[in-house]
Amino acid sequence: MSVLRERVTMVWLGLMVLTCVTTWGLSKDLFIPAVGVVGIFSIAAIKVSYVMLDFMELRYAPIPVRSAFQAWPVIVAAMILGFWFATPSLT
Amino acid sequence: MSTISDTEVVTTDDRVTPRRLPGVDGVWVAIGADSVIFAILFASFMQARLHNPAVFEASRHTLNMNLGGIDTLVLLTSSWSVALAIQALKRDLIDRVPRYLLGGALTGLMFMVSKSIEYFEKFAQGIRPATNDFYMWYFTLTGIHLLHVVFGTSLLSYLWVRSRRRTYHSLQRVVPECVASYWHLVDLLWIVIFPLLYLQKAA
Amino acid sequence: MAIHAESATAAAPDLSPYRTDYTSWKILAWTGPVFLFAVFVLWGIVAHNMPPFPPSATPEQVKAHFHDFRLPLLIALSICVTMTAFYMSFSVAVARVMERVEGPNGLLSKLEMMGGTITCAPVMVTLAIWLTAAHEVDNLTPGIMHMLYWMGWLLFDLAYFVTSLQIAAISIVFMRDRREKKLVGQFVIWWGWVTFASFFAVSAIPFVTTGPLAFNGVISFWIAFFTWFIWIPSLSYYIIRAVDRIKAEDEAAGRVND
Repeated sequence: MSVLRERVTMVWLGLMVLTCVTTWGLSKDLFIPAVGVVGIFSIAAIKVSYVMLDFMELRYAPIPVRSAFQAWPVIVAAMILGFWFATPSLT
Repeated sequence: MSTISDTEVVTTDDRVTPRRLPGVDGVWVAIGADSVIFAILFASFMQARLHNPAVFEASRHTLNMNLGGIDTLVLLTSSWSVALAIQALKRDLIDRVPRYLLGGALTGLMFMVSKSIEYFEKFAQGIRPATNDFYMWYFTLTGIHLLHVVFGTSLLSYLWVRSRRRTYHSLQRVVPECVASYWHLVDLLWIVIFPLLYLQKAA
Repeated sequence: MAIHAESATAAAPDLSPYRTDYTSWKILAWTGPVFLFAVFVLWGIVAHNMPPFPPSATPEQVKAHFHDFRLPLLIALSICVTMTAFYMSFSVAVARVMERVEGPNGLLSKLEMMGGTITCAPVMVTLAIWLTAAHEVDNLTPGIMHMLYWMGWLLFDLAYFVTSLQIAAISIVFMRDRREKKLVGQFVIWWGWVTFASFFAVSAIPFVTTGPLAFNGVISFWIAFFTWFIWIPSLSYYIIRAVDRIKAEDEAAGRVND
């Protein structure tokens, strides 16, 4: 087993890169808040998905269970963004 | 050509395997329940934030974003290490399993140390959970998550000890799989908690 | 981990020479959902506890609350004190089913029965305290009313570990069931663990009056109580059916002494 060729390693690298993008990129003042927030939570949902599919091995799980779990990041991100847009602006 | 549908099996280059959940089915009930509970907490947090965006934004700025980001990288690495342990276990590479489990446990410990430093920073600044609604949520969400990390790290340590005695192998891997699945839950929860508390800029 | 394999053909000393009263057993199993119904409808809805009156309320506000709702409180709480006994009867039924997995006189079935029975104590005493507060509202100062309100919640909530031990005993025993189709389903066993874990957060209630950990908060109230509220009927479903299944097992093994 070559660690470097394992799928989980590729996924890990991707997750690490996405983390840096959101933490030290999208959160900065380069972007207007709406763009930053939508980007950050969309990426968070994608990261959660990959953890579910490839770390938790839900990719190979029975479809009903996989679908139920995959709905979670979508619902959570949508809920957070829904609240965010409903929250009055500070400016 | 296989006559079994894709909903029941996974077809790879060399074999067809039935779809399965790692570990025991019951642990997925717990993982599912915990996920739903946290989703409810996230909604509750956003509801509290809706009523007090200025306080939440001002308090958010006092959080250590760099440390939080590093925490995310640490936990992702921890999950990766544990995932490698399971892959090694499936292929009966028994000698490699302990080091991956140890990697998982040590990175879990790193997270715990980092969080402790963060909390002490806050206490030194005179910030307590009761200081305002944001901080109540910050300490509660990260605190409950931290308890999950402590529990998970203990389980990983236990697995590490037993794996060194060659207890687990490809036909005896239910317990490691259960613990690994739980650990990935801990990881994915932080993936949401971190931007929710630290990065979420106000409009 | 020692596992007691209870095969359908093994001799069961506790059955012979005494008759097993499956009917009473099943009735006791049904008192589980009856208890939940009573607590949910009477304490929860009629007595205005969903959500509970806030811990941040001032003594004057607490007195006014008990004054405004005096009659529904008197009715709901008094009946609820009495019906809390059904949790004890339910626990006895569960213990008997557990013995079929663990063996007669098993340790965990004893722990379960004690845990379920003792759970009745803080519930009954709390309801009686609040009943007293409602009954005596016009004779008591706001300070005393506030004290009675808090006394109830501190007792009701912080005694959780008695129930936790009951739940843990049930989950452990039924996890060890060697039957091909277990007497109690995986969902309930693991939901028991979720409930067990959720109770610990409640220890925070003395220290906060607002937010998720307060006794009316999303964690200490909604999650902690509803995980338990879901667990009771889910477990009851399997326990009620288990009595029938055990009767069938006994008959198949020729062990019914009528």
